[in-house]
Amino acid sequence: MSNLWNFNTLRERSTVDLPGETIPALFWAGARLRTDQVWMRQKKLGLWRSWTWTQAAQQVEEIGNGLLSLGFAAGERASILSNTVVEWLLTDLAVLSCGGVSSGIYPTDAAPQVHYLCEDSDSVVIFVEDDEQLDKVLEVRDQLPRLRQIVVFDMDGLRTMQDPMVMSLDALRERGRQWSQAHPGALKARCDACQPDDLAILVYTSGTTGKPKGAMHRHRGLVYSVRGLSAVVPQDAQDERMAFLPLCHIVERVGGAYHSIYTGARLNFVENPQTIPENVREIAPTVFAAVPRVWEKLYSGVMIALKDSGWLQQATFAWGMGVGGRIVEQVLSGRPVGAWLKFQFILARLLVLNNVRKILGIHRARVLITGAAPISPDLIRWYLALGVPMFEAWGMTETCGAATSTPPGQIRPGSIGQAAPYNEVRIDPVTSEILVRGPNVFAGYLNLPDKTAEAIDAQGWLHTGDVGTVDAEGFYRITDRMKDIIITAGGKNITPSELENDLKFSPYITDAVVIGDRRPFLTAIIMIDQDNVEKFAQDREVPFSNYASLTRSAEVQQLIQDEVDRVNRSVARVEQIKKFFLLDTQLTAEDEELTPTMKLKRKLVEAKYAGPIESMYRSTT
Amino acid sequence: MTQASGVHLAATAPSAAAPSVPGAADDDRAMLRLLNVESAYGPIKAIRGVSLTVRQGEISTVLGSNGAGKTTILKTISGIIDPRKGSIAFKGVDITAQDPAKIVKHGLSHVPEGREVFALLSVLDNLLMGAYTRKDRDGVARDLETVFGYFPILRERRDQEAGLLSGGQQQMLAISRALMARPDLILLDEPSLGLSPKLTREIFEIVVRINREQGTTILLVEQNANMALNAADYGYVLENGRIVMEDSCERLREKEDIKEFYLGLKNDGVRGERRWKKKKMWR
Repeated sequence: MSNLWNFNTLRERSTVDLPGETIPALFWAGARLRTDQVWMRQKKLGLWRSWTWTQAAQQVEEIGNGLLSLGFAAGERASILSNTVVEWLLTDLAVLSCGGVSSGIYPTDAAPQVHYLCEDSDSVVIFVEDDEQLDKVLEVRDQLPRLRQIVVFDMDGLRTMQDPMVMSLDALRERGRQWSQAHPGALKARCDACQPDDLAILVYTSGTTGKPKGAMHRHRGLVYSVRGLSAVVPQDAQDERMAFLPLCHIVERVGGAYHSIYTGARLNFVENPQTIPENVREIAPTVFAAVPRVWEKLYSGVMIALKDSGWLQQATFAWGMGVGGRIVEQVLSGRPVGAWLKFQFILARLLVLNNVRKILGIHRARVLITGAAPISPDLIRWYLALGVPMFEAWGMTETCGAATSTPPGQIRPGSIGQAAPYNEVRIDPVTSEILVRGPNVFAGYLNLPDKTAEAIDAQGWLHTGDVGTVDAEGFYRITDRMKDIIITAGGKNITPSELENDLKFSPYITDAVVIGDRRPFLTAIIMIDQDNVEKFAQDREVPFSNYASLTRSAEVQQLIQDEVDRVNRSVARVEQIKKFFLLDTQLTAEDEELTPTMKLKRKLVEAKYAGPIESMYRSTT
Repeated sequence: MTQASGVHLAATAPSAAAPSVPGAADDDRAMLRLLNVESAYGPIKAIRGVSLTVRQGEISTVLGSNGAGKTTILKTISGIIDPRKGSIAFKGVDITAQDPAKIVKHGLSHVPEGREVFALLSVLDNLLMGAYTRKDRDGVARDLETVFGYFPILRERRDQEAGLLSGGQQQMLAISRALMARPDLILLDEPSLGLSPKLTREIFEIVVRINREQGTTILLVEQNANMALNAADYGYVLENGRIVMEDSCERLREKEDIKEFYLGLKNDGVRGERRWKKKKMWR
């Protein structure tokens, strides 16, 4: 049971320091040490299945031997096109154990993107989740002469498929079993031959502008990061974690999967993206890392449900959160929490807060971690008021996960924390860009020496593209992405992400893009939260028939106008958003406007909606 | 409702910006209008905020899979279920949560799902039950001839018990019984249920004839999307109690999602067969 005034639960855990200088070496050491402990669980058809370390190791061995039997050479590349499932990780580890390089592809990518990523990464083998993903590869395989084999995890609907290039994962494992009898020790030899300076994984940046770039990570950097993370994320083999973010993304890959290899924490794979809230409730993770979008969604779910509850519940909740809020104020300003306040808080927990925590599935959580995108400080305060510590970590694909993080006991909403102990961070005195240096920094972009040289300077500093400040105690604050900073026609520098985060704090707004570079005033493109706005419309009897008509109704326009006004009140006149428009199509991750992590792509949105943007500036009112 | 415009400008006075009432642009011809109707069975919401318009003289249809809430909409309109929220206007009069009998008198007949004829009454008595609220004997006799004209088999079997009719004949009887009330609007709940394709086609042809010849407005609820989209003028797609799409049936038939999920048309992809479904976008 965590309380905000006691951070003892967050001290670094006494984990066994696993030996190994490559990711597969760490994995095999972990498997030898933890044998029959459960490492992974996954919900399938409504039942949680589990994999012990030994079972996982056996499967990795079979897949690895299968790859060797196909002539998969050290240094060759394999791509993985799948949602976050257990097989993803097993396959990844098998590829690495063979001395190969693995590259993840987002399951929401379309066939042309799959083609580009396979070609750019020079993949000879591709693993696909099911028939849907397989079809994307089959569509473009004629243009991929280097591709030798396609392996399918789930053969449902493909039983009759006869294609020499396609085999099931089960068939590959069977091949591997037979091959290993004839060649015992071959996989181990290959794994032992793998050097820390060998290339391990390719992580493609989401590519908000232009083609995605393949960030190269060597084993040395990955292992260094994973070891270092233990100082930042207190977790051990007793911990339960969720696995649901895309494994192609650095956060789930390094911060989730690889860190769990090192610490032994259990990974619980959700059944599918729709069941995340339910699965979180079932598992009740003890360490829960997610992106701001998830935290926003959970928060607005509670706030909306609250509107349907009785006045007594609403009043109790408000009182409980008030007590929690006062504790947050005490703790954040470093003052002790008085006994009377503690007593009130315990009462508040019994009456209401414990239930809210249970509904969210965070009642066992020792720590919540947010990262990968900016978050509103108010949202962090809200979770803190529930009595659960929330840390913010900042990093990027190129820093191999977290480069700064909140130190335990010193939560400061709005700050991304101090430099992680394993890397150096500083602010460029001229441009105020945040620079990072350390062994965790990536080895460059694949096939793009020019871009690499732009990113890493001669002294080894990574230019992150984020602009920020640092205070006397070493706490960093991000002001914005360097390329996103708006300079209005009046010459005022404005950081759109602060405004956007304030907008997103509204339960009715999912995402927003603020526009105004070289313009007389600021405008915004806003994506509404369908569920919550629908509920608003229903409660007020605002007629609508579908998403588009919902966004057009005068009342919804006014609702969003009020939210914009709320944000405008807190900023100077030149920073106020004078006009906005609502996207009237419901976007999904398949749409080009969104990144796989469901963020609006600023440049693309600005280009695609140039017409409506222009007309906001044309009309005189 | 145009799909092409992409976005809508909100900046200035929102009230002047757009037609705020969805469903139909020309309100003069609206015979039935639902605004934000929400109905529930105990704690389970069956329809969550449905707004739709049925225009005079047209056939409108509500498509949707099992459990989407189609039947609940009809039951809410005809007063069998009282909505939790929202309002229903019929011929300009608010009929929300009125007594079903009053609504029938007002000119609205409901052909329930599964026919529900009076099994032990004769065919003729069933038809006369339909005209129960009417006082004009001559008119009733004339209308009896009209329905026998549409469904000659009912004349042949007028004295038999309705329970002995085949499924298709019972459907004909149910439609005829509704017509006998001389309604302005008929709510037709899944006329194709349990019928052969041939019989379904016949019944649909007559439904269209009734609409054209008698000028009766029809709100048709169907799972057989193909039949419904061909018969109706305007369509709504209902999913999980929400309308996710609306358009003229002509345009609905061309939408990718309708083709894949309701008409069963899809391209087979590279392998020549496809089991997985694309994601619904409803646009």
